[in-house]
Amino acid sequence: MTQPGTAPPRTRSTTGSPTGTATHCPYCSLQCGMRLERVGRTLNVAPWAEFPVNEGALCRKGLTATGLRGHRERLTTPLVRDTTTGEFRATSWDEALDLIASRIDTLQAESGADTIAVFGGGGLTNEKAYALGKFTRTVLRSSQIDYNGRWCMSSAAAASNKAFGLDRGLPFPLVDIETADVVVLVGSNMAETMPPAARHLDRLREAGGQLVVIDPRRTPTAERADLALQPVPGTDLALALGVLHHLLAVGAVDEDYLAERTTGFEGVRLSVAAWWPERVERVTGVSADDVRRLADLLAAHPKAMILTARGAEQHAQGTDTVLAWINVALALGLPGRPGAGYGCLTGQGNGQGGREHGQKADQLPGYRSIDDPVARAHVAEVWGVTPESIPGKGRSAYELLEALGTDEGSRALLVFGSNIVVSAPNAELITQRLEALDLLVVADIVLSETAALADVVLPVTQWAEETGTMTNLEGRVILRQRAVTPPEGVRSDLDVIAGLATRLGSELVFPTDPETVFAELGRASAGGAADYSGITYDRIRDERGVFWPCPATPDDAEPHPGTPRLFADSFGTPDGRARCQVVEHRGPAEPTDSDYPLHLTTGRVLAQYQSGAQTRRIKDLPDTGAFVEMHPLVALRLGIEDGNLVTLSTRRGELRAPARVVTTIREDTVFVPFHWVGVNRLVNDALDPSSRMPEFKVCAAALRVGGHR
Amino acid sequence: MSSADGGDDRGRIVVVGAGMAAVRLVEGLVARGLGSRVTVLGKEHHAPYNRILLSAVLEGTHSARALTLRDPAWFAERGVDLRLGVRVVRIDREQRRVDLVDDLGEESSLDWERLVLATGLIPKLPPIRGIVDAHGNLHPKVHAFRTLADCRDLSAVLPDARRAVVVGGGLLGLQVARALAGRGLETEIVEGAEHLMARQLSAPGGAALARDLRRLGTSVYTGARAVRLIDEGLVLDNGFVLSADLVVLTAGGRPAMALARDAGLTIRRGVVVDDRLASVDDAGIHAIGDCAEFVDGQGQGRPTGFVAPAWEQAELLAEILAGEPRTYAGSRSVARLRATELDVAVLGEPEEATSAPGTEVVEVSNPLAGTYRKLVVRHGVIVAATLVGDLSHVGLITQHYDRGTRLGDDEPGALLLPPRPTTPLQLHDSSEICSCAGVTVGEVRACTSLEQVVETTRATTGCGGCREAVCSLLEQRTTTSEAHAI
Repeated sequence: MTQPGTAPPRTRSTTGSPTGTATHCPYCSLQCGMRLERVGRTLNVAPWAEFPVNEGALCRKGLTATGLRGHRERLTTPLVRDTTTGEFRATSWDEALDLIASRIDTLQAESGADTIAVFGGGGLTNEKAYALGKFTRTVLRSSQIDYNGRWCMSSAAAASNKAFGLDRGLPFPLVDIETADVVVLVGSNMAETMPPAARHLDRLREAGGQLVVIDPRRTPTAERADLALQPVPGTDLALALGVLHHLLAVGAVDEDYLAERTTGFEGVRLSVAAWWPERVERVTGVSADDVRRLADLLAAHPKAMILTARGAEQHAQGTDTVLAWINVALALGLPGRPGAGYGCLTGQGNGQGGREHGQKADQLPGYRSIDDPVARAHVAEVWGVTPESIPGKGRSAYELLEALGTDEGSRALLVFGSNIVVSAPNAELITQRLEALDLLVVADIVLSETAALADVVLPVTQWAEETGTMTNLEGRVILRQRAVTPPEGVRSDLDVIAGLATRLGSELVFPTDPETVFAELGRASAGGAADYSGITYDRIRDERGVFWPCPATPDDAEPHPGTPRLFADSFGTPDGRARCQVVEHRGPAEPTDSDYPLHLTTGRVLAQYQSGAQTRRIKDLPDTGAFVEMHPLVALRLGIEDGNLVTLSTRRGELRAPARVVTTIREDTVFVPFHWVGVNRLVNDALDPSSRMPEFKVCAAALRVGGHR
Repeated sequence: MSSADGGDDRGRIVVVGAGMAAVRLVEGLVARGLGSRVTVLGKEHHAPYNRILLSAVLEGTHSARALTLRDPAWFAERGVDLRLGVRVVRIDREQRRVDLVDDLGEESSLDWERLVLATGLIPKLPPIRGIVDAHGNLHPKVHAFRTLADCRDLSAVLPDARRAVVVGGGLLGLQVARALAGRGLETEIVEGAEHLMARQLSAPGGAALARDLRRLGTSVYTGARAVRLIDEGLVLDNGFVLSADLVVLTAGGRPAMALARDAGLTIRRGVVVDDRLASVDDAGIHAIGDCAEFVDGQGQGRPTGFVAPAWEQAELLAEILAGEPRTYAGSRSVARLRATELDVAVLGEPEEATSAPGTEVVEVSNPLAGTYRKLVVRHGVIVAATLVGDLSHVGLITQHYDRGTRLGDDEPGALLLPPRPTTPLQLHDSSEICSCAGVTVGEVRACTSLEQVVETTRATTGCGGCREAVCSLLEQRTTTSEAHAI
């Protein structure tokens, strides 16, 4: 299945940097390499040019990442909500953890194990994600654990698993982009959301390659494109069907590859006969000529890469949309060909690793299914429990939150590394569910919007104060290293988990040293799809990251080199063939109508990250607040001028924000960045049937000028 | 038998016709678990295929293999009884039965609970002497163009033909003419009406189209009827004789409704159906697609003639047959010519809409460029449109039309104008030039070299997108200072 990478160097190099601590940016999935240098009491960010993903380049988020250190809002003592006043009061760690443990005991005695739910995040290290899953399954014995990755790349993950039997965001190193002939970005604004990655696009073009960007907005990424298509939000699937239709029409599919390396294409072939370009034009708003142009471009170049991101994935038909693009890639014989293939540009810092080691409702470490008896037996042995004691599959993120405090749902929630109040869809409802809980515990570095609702808030260590591994968008396991001592009073999430386990009477070992946890994680993952058992901290330091799968080898054997490139000879399915799946375009769950005539789509801006809990507190990053981006024709129609306060409403809520009038957006679409409270009150909670991804990227909205704050 | 309108009937649903509407209907029925109750009767031998792509197959730009919509195995796997090469000869409404005959003349009959007529169109045979012999067979030079078999027959004779005349200048005729031209034939079009696509276009639209065609090397004879086929060629009523190795008939079609007529169902320009897509005479018999004429509450109706409305009807009928309380209220149609280098889109019924009270017309005509575009607007909503020769914004115009978007007064005009060239950005010292590092123009202007910019501001070190702009700022700086030096 794998194409081995180069063997690791035998000699131990330095950590790759002349001075300071080699580590990675605290934000997105690119996990840019950087060095942290101490000068007196300050910590400076310096380039780490040898790290191949970003080669020393950083965006302003990374450049200012140390700004959260010593922030006046930094929490350094646990807070407990006083039952009489309703206000927070500072307390000791012992008191806080004792309180949580006793509340958990009481609630579980009354309502059963599943009454305690746990919510993790795609920004947590692999070690934390693993420990959280183990703690929930073995100490709490609850099935109710999930994480915010469901709101990130879960549609791509579900599609990759269905099609390839394996889900690693990119099956090749990011730098391979430079060697392609054509790169198609579907719903990715790489230049703004992960700027240093865009240099690979520039080199692609310098080498004569072409870039296609598909996005309802002509983003800074699309400005670099040779072909930029702006489909109606929620119609990327139909566009893919049209492209495949044309490839079949002109006989450009790789029939030998389809016959040898895939199954199921005959059904797909028939299903796209009904998607001729003029029909696609009517559905997508992309002209028939442009549909053909894209297909012809793909047909003319053997090394084509199709990369999806949130724009294509965050839909109620997100999984099917990704499958439709995978079908295009398979029809052209791309996956497994050097410099070609399908990949997903994962979003969150550890969006990849976070979905592999057991904080997801249906998974055990090593990207194993919780329903698989063999996987359960293996993991149970590593954990020192019986397979039967491991609970089954729990609710997915949104469903878990939606059920909180109801008769069927959990009565308590422990939150690690997530700011649900800002990031969940239909956030108003979710906030009500959080308020209905008997116990809400939030571990965070600042009093985030979610922490502010908690009964107990636990101050934890942050990036640069702790060590742990992340797995970047390429499936490269990398090491974030501690550069400074954490402030007095904070503890790591691993400490919190261990402290609670002991108080809840568990006899299992919950190590607090990350390297020890990583070794255990490796053993638990051994034999799974995401096998980390051959990876060590030393190897990561020496090799600038190691790509999984990397199984352990016997002591006397050469170590496994890791796997930079997947699928050269076969796929991760039992028969080694990729699965082509028939998918149909259903369209947005909430079409526009006369009351809500505009499409609303959401996304990110360069200077902020996710719910903004970190980035909004960094003074060098501009905090503009939310804004509503619209086309001049829409503005003119509604009497809106640039900068006017406008009210944007959907069936779920309203947002007041200034208008930003730009010619780069479709004339039937408005855009709002989601970093601020209130935006996700607007978006639709319709879920994808496979990934349970909510439809963040399109709903129907109405706009009017004015509004009172 | 339970109520004719209920969805819980366990009897057979018999679909007459296996074209595009029929397939979509069956897909809907299968999705609702009704597949095993369905029998589909197709006259053609080929598995159901995408008819609207036939001209592309003729042109050689579309693989014939990629036309099939569903193969027989698909039907079989879902319990659908698909019968190809059979013809329905009679509908017996009393006995709820249809009589069939297959290719070998074998007769049989089939009971139904619900009958769906999806029989489509029959090509019109224009009154031209000499195109049909005494036995009713087409002259060897003359070809119809409706089915895959027609397409194959025509394709087979192309290598030996040099000159072709297409009779009928509607959508299909134009597509076929462009396909033949694409295959290297000298092609001419004869259209009896005063201009091309007379059903959809006004005179200026048709004129723009004819100009485009002539530019592409195809002669167009409008207001002229072919009257006779002789050895020398096709004789027109204006006296012209167009020499031709091939004559292709694309003069439209008429709904295939003989079965319905014989069964005593009301027919007008199609089988008349109500908002349940059922015959107004028999709630157990439905009609969809080209053979149906939906008559609304005002008594207005017309057959659609396009695939999109046929599919809307098919999807809706599947829901109705599954017992869902749905009603049909008509469809919006978009006629989109599929012909190489010929750009035409017609939304709705622009000619009819133009004359309706309360509508305004926004139009741009450029005879020099062979373009003609018009939007028909009512209360700010685009209710119809014609786009000839220039399809810029076609995607957006179609979106506005389909969604009934209420536009501002300036929008229809803006949709027809070319995008304004963007004025070069004025770069003020406070403008941000590098968003990765948050660097302003002023900060860059304060530097003397790229190295200094990188060193002091970190601009260009993130995504690299501002590199060009930064370099040109630095260059301007040099030129200005040199100018000062002089």
